[in-house]
Amino acid sequence: MEQTVQGILVVNTETIPGMMITETLGVVSGSTVRAKNVGRDITQGLRNIMGGELVKYTELLEESRQEAIGRMVAEAMGRGATAIVNVRFATSAVTAGAAELFAYGTAVKAE
Amino acid sequence: MTEWAVIIPLAIGSICALPLLLLAAFGMLYAFAYPFMLIWAFFFSGKRLDDQIADTTSREISLRDSLGRDPLTTLDGGYRTDITECGVIWAGVVFGPSHWHLLIGFINNLIGGSIDILQKVVAAGRAEAMQRLRENAVSNGYDDVINVRIDTSDMAPQGAQSKVKAVEVFAYGTGVKYG
Repeated sequence: MEQTVQGILVVNTETIPGMMITETLGVVSGSTVRAKNVGRDITQGLRNIMGGELVKYTELLEESRQEAIGRMVAEAMGRGATAIVNVRFATSAVTAGAAELFAYGTAVKAE
Repeated sequence: MTEWAVIIPLAIGSICALPLLLLAAFGMLYAFAYPFMLIWAFFFSGKRLDDQIADTTSREISLRDSLGRDPLTTLDGGYRTDITECGVIWAGVVFGPSHWHLLIGFINNLIGGSIDILQKVVAAGRAEAMQRLRENAVSNGYDDVINVRIDTSDMAPQGAQSKVKAVEVFAYGTGVKYG
């Protein structure tokens, strides 16, 4: 949730307000599949009977998303980009309790 | 010699089986406790959901009063030119109906028509995710959030043997700070 992740500006708009995009460097992406341990799955299963928010799964997805964005940013840095624009997120549940988080965007040079 | 040949595989086998036995014990406990929890859900889950909705709404109203407007917009482009800082922010909530609500939903499903109770649950989760996005924006020092997108994904995919029935609502956008 930082505005710049390791010195790279990440936005989900097509342009960066106040900056000019000089070069596009292609699509960069990062994904991660993570799961909580079986004990958490059991407690969240019990909590689900009552309904409402499943706090541990929320935390799990938050951590995973940080990791996915970190990988995307690392790829962008490898290409020498200064920003990533038009970032999109996608989520898919592979099995119960294991979620794949996928973040992708366009690496650009901006000044 | 022959004794060891019997004892060692037995010991290894029992160590390997221990986690499975524990799981089986949990499964039996779950089967025993489930009816009581369903009764608990029958009495209290409706009130719990209403409390959740009331809490989200009151936070939303107090934030809107302090800012004077709603910071979220879905616009991309056409925004103000005096932006000094920007960056992506997001907020996600995993939210599920109680099993009592699922039962009501199942009965509604047989009759057909709109399933209001499940709609209410998902709407509550969505309102909570959007409110967290607003709070994230404020705590990161942003004035506005532009280009907001909201995704909803199923935590219990078709075919997976899962007891958890929930959706993840995920809201993200670009926070901007005006100079």
